[in-house]
Amino acid sequence: MSDKGNFVPLKPIPIKDRNSMVFVGRGQLDVRDGAFCVVDEVNGERMLIPVGSLACLMLEPGARVSHAAVKLASTVGTLLIWVGEAGVRLYAAGQPGGARSDRLLYQAQLALDESLRLKVVRKMFELRFGEPAPERRSVDQLRGIEGARVRKTYELLAQQYGVQWHGRRYDPKDWKKGDIANQCLSAATSCLYGVTEAAVLAAGYAPAIGFLHSGKPLSFVYDIADIVKFETVVPVAFQIAAKKPPFADRETRIACRDSFRTSKILKRLIPLVEEVLAAGEINPPEPPRDAQPPAIPEPESIGDSGHRSG
Amino acid sequence: MCVVVTEAVPPRLRGRLAVWLLEIRAGVYVGDVSRRIREMIWHQITELADDGNAVMAWATNTESGFDFVTHGENRRMPVELDGLRLVKFIPSENPDNTTQ
Repeated sequence: MSDKGNFVPLKPIPIKDRNSMVFVGRGQLDVRDGAFCVVDEVNGERMLIPVGSLACLMLEPGARVSHAAVKLASTVGTLLIWVGEAGVRLYAAGQPGGARSDRLLYQAQLALDESLRLKVVRKMFELRFGEPAPERRSVDQLRGIEGARVRKTYELLAQQYGVQWHGRRYDPKDWKKGDIANQCLSAATSCLYGVTEAAVLAAGYAPAIGFLHSGKPLSFVYDIADIVKFETVVPVAFQIAAKKPPFADRETRIACRDSFRTSKILKRLIPLVEEVLAAGEINPPEPPRDAQPPAIPEPESIGDSGHRSG
Repeated sequence: MCVVVTEAVPPRLRGRLAVWLLEIRAGVYVGDVSRRIREMIWHQITELADDGNAVMAWATNTESGFDFVTHGENRRMPVELDGLRLVKFIPSENPDNTTQ
């Protein structure tokens, strides 16, 4: 330790300034001199991971994580996602959602009021298909139209890349059961859900309060990810499936990371979330006039509004 | 693109830099960061460097195509020559030591 004893707090940086994700398996994740590293005890090797510059870190089977490593990841606002076979998600830990009560109440208000919810769903439809949703349709009817278009898009893409396609069929418990195209799609969508969840959390919203999807812990993440799914990860999955590589999941992942970089998806996700919710045309609620302000004001942060700055 | 080179700084600063940047050689860190993040990292360096020294260079729209800042004492000191930033190499206090 130095005699000067300067203390500089560690803060999250905005999601838009980060790289998408890194997969880590086999190794002990720990902190050495304040840096996040993967220690390979067998060969005595250490690999440093710039965890503060990542949106999320995917932990594969074989990874062991120390308390200090989780603490560092949460301090710099990086989502840790434990994944199973082919990167299909099992569990995540990071910042709990809804760090901002005004955002959370705003999101809930939009989801609770049927007419506001319809406005949001129509906006999602418009952003996804590049044309306004047909007039005078309920959320249910829009979901039906969307489903039909999605099935058609899958067929077209399968044809374009020359992949056998019998519909989107997968067993969430057994990744290997699906055909190669479905396997690649599952691997690709879980990458997209990872970065989308990191963005939703960083913006201060709750992943569970969805508009089209409901009843799942990540409903809102699926809503947002679906808007960009067909311009990012779905073509990638078919492209890889067409090659029939021996390690389809790994290939898919690398291609996904490339597509996230070229489509600048991390710069777009939080503005996209805001744009979708703004379609409700209401403002986030003001705090009640008699509310108790925080005793200790929040310190300045350069991160996103939902990042908890220690 | 941004490069940081540190000399004789405490381990906690070296670890802290590795939170965002990649250490490609001992004390040499590289990353692609926005201006705001670069300034945040520089603040960490100036606060935590103790008696060590550091330099940070980044690509920008100058005649040289980059700019840099230094912190702490080093035999290479920045000088300005007609608006062009160069480095002056100061002789060692120990006359036997002419290289470095």
